[in-house]
Amino acid sequence: MFFDDLKESAAMAVDTLRANKLRSSLTILGVAIGVITVTFMVSIIQGLNRAFAEQIEALGSNTVWASKFDPSFGRPPSSENLHRKDLTVADAEAIRRESQFALSVSPLYRQLAATLRYADKQTETPILFGVTPYYEMTHSSYVGRGRFISDADLANASNVCVLGVDAVRALFPFEEPLDKELKIDGKPFRVIGVMEPLGNFFGQSRDNSVFMPLTTFEKYHPDYTPPEIVFVIVLRPKTRADVAALVDEITDILRRRRRVPAGAPPNFGVSTQDSLLDFYNQLTGATALVLTAVSFVALMIGGIGVMNIMLVSVTERTREIGIRKAVGATRANILWQFLIEAVVLTAIGGAVGLAVGEAASLLMNRYSPLPAFVPLWAVVVGLGISAAVGIIFGLWPAWKAARLDPIEALRYE
Amino acid sequence: MSNVILAAPPQTAALDHGDLLAHDAVPASLISMRDIWKTYQMGAEEVHALRGVEFDVHKGEYLAIIGPSGSGKSTLMNLIGCLDTPTRGRYWINGKLVSEMNDDELARIRNQEVGFVFQTFNLLARASALHNVELPLIYAGVGSAERHEKARQSLTAVDLADRMMHRPNELSGGQRQRVAIARALVNHPSILLADEPTGALDSATSHEIMNLFERLHAEGNTIIVVTHEPDIAARAHRIISIRDGHIERDERTK
Ligand SMILES: Nc1ncnc2c1ncn2[C@@H]1O[C@H](COP(=O)(O)OP(=O)(O)O)[C@@H](O)[C@H]1O
Ligand SMILES: [Mg+2]
Repeated sequence: MFFDDLKESAAMAVDTLRANKLRSSLTILGVAIGVITVTFMVSIIQGLNRAFAEQIEALGSNTVWASKFDPSFGRPPSSENLHRKDLTVADAEAIRRESQFALSVSPLYRQLAATLRYADKQTETPILFGVTPYYEMTHSSYVGRGRFISDADLANASNVCVLGVDAVRALFPFEEPLDKELKIDGKPFRVIGVMEPLGNFFGQSRDNSVFMPLTTFEKYHPDYTPPEIVFVIVLRPKTRADVAALVDEITDILRRRRRVPAGAPPNFGVSTQDSLLDFYNQLTGATALVLTAVSFVALMIGGIGVMNIMLVSVTERTREIGIRKAVGATRANILWQFLIEAVVLTAIGGAVGLAVGEAASLLMNRYSPLPAFVPLWAVVVGLGISAAVGIIFGLWPAWKAARLDPIEALRYE
Repeated sequence: MSNVILAAPPQTAALDHGDLLAHDAVPASLISMRDIWKTYQMGAEEVHALRGVEFDVHKGEYLAIIGPSGSGKSTLMNLIGCLDTPTRGRYWINGKLVSEMNDDELARIRNQEVGFVFQTFNLLARASALHNVELPLIYAGVGSAERHEKARQSLTAVDLADRMMHRPNELSGGQRQRVAIARALVNHPSILLADEPTGALDSATSHEIMNLFERLHAEGNTIIVVTHEPDIAARAHRIISIRDGHIERDERTK
């Protein structure tokens, strides 16, 4: 019986659509835009979240970074920051000796770009790292083939290197890279390993890197200047719970070693993933708020369109409502019929919106560095929202229709 | 959902209701009106469209209501058909006190007990004849196979078997009115009401429709027709004349 109501209402809805093609299309468009907006916003936030979660995961979820200044997102460091005394490998050794909370300590040099050359092939983009054997464990980034840099390599400052897969792709597209001789910034190196691929982050490859022993790096760069080359000590706490304790501990050690007077601000920076997380949360929190507001407004506009067309539909069908009531339709029958009509309208809008939103996020993934992702629940929520818009904005017109007096409705011209 | 409400039989409830409220016994006749008033508020002025109407209609009667324009015929018909409620007075159909019923109960009475034929047909313009006739069955909660069959039978009974898929605008006035009659009869109501059913038709078609009414009466239907045409009234077996909202004459002619 309810099913008959449904069929009757669906027929009414199709009638409305057919009789007022332009108006219905505009209404559907309104709802579609609302749902597109919501889908698109959700997909962006979801994409960012997912990419970030992956990144955090890949970075080893809870590392602590010590360098001569705090990382500043976007802003260049001040000159006071730049002129501070550098941290040293000796600092890293001291931390390794004294720390109770550090599981591993990985001092490293990072050079923004190095030129790698092999035979007639060359690449200028890889990031060059001077590292110790502790790098792998600290960063949860492991060698895939061959071997990583060893204590012997470090002691001998040998000219060996481990390549990220991007460098392999650029220099050895058809050749086995292991044991080949290549040039890094003009110096000869032997390839001893290839790292496991890490994938992308915000469209940026994380595999475009090359590693050499820290001592070898020092051999070729007795002096260095940020930001082209920086020295960082990366630490991994024994457990997630030790992060705060570890930060306090190494702050103490470094203050002592760098002779920072009690009460003075530290002349170095210690940061955790949490500071990155904080930054990220600030960013996405604000974005999500704006996106939510925009979505809400878009849905309101769609909903008002629905209410408008339903009010018109009720007025135009006054006589029809009279006829239906005259042959026995109850208030509930009429209410349902108009509600379902509204929901059919918005559901079509919702489906159109989801399809367009999904397509847009696929395009975005493909052609822009911003990751986008429409999770299944967003499809369900999108259809749910459009149905809810139909019910909320269709309720008043449907209630108006249901309350019509049969005699007055029949008399309506 | 609402049809679930419809499907639950309110008859017994309405009967109890009637018994409790009635000072006299529940009438045995099909229709029974007692001191029915209908008053419209026109600004500060009160218009009494009906002033204390009382009459009974028995099963199988063929009754005409006549009277000058504005005398209250349509008002009375709308009350009989439960499209409207009286300002005062009591009204029973089949022993059910409908004057005390709420909206949904009245909807059920309109659906089950009454078939209404209007001067202007009142068909759904965008629906086929068949669908128009099915409409009361939809609200009665009849399943679609049975509904199709009943609607087809009803249309066949008014000689429209070959026009079932036509829309109203593809039918002549007389055909439209026959669709409306088929719709009124499809649920086998206790009473068939027609308010100036030939008012929008030419005289040949009018006769055709009145012949149909005569046949339906012969088949056992109870019929009330409002008209201001004497020759149409003359076909009925009883004539009630209304003037200024009350019954002036009530006479049996056959
Ligand atoms: N909705 C209404 N509001 C006010 N007055 C009405 C209304 N309906 C009918 N009337 C008045 O009630 C009286 C009877 O009307 P009606 O029953 O339509 O007469 P008839 O059908 O006999 O021509 C008329 O005076 C008419 O103006
Ligand atoms: Mg009239």
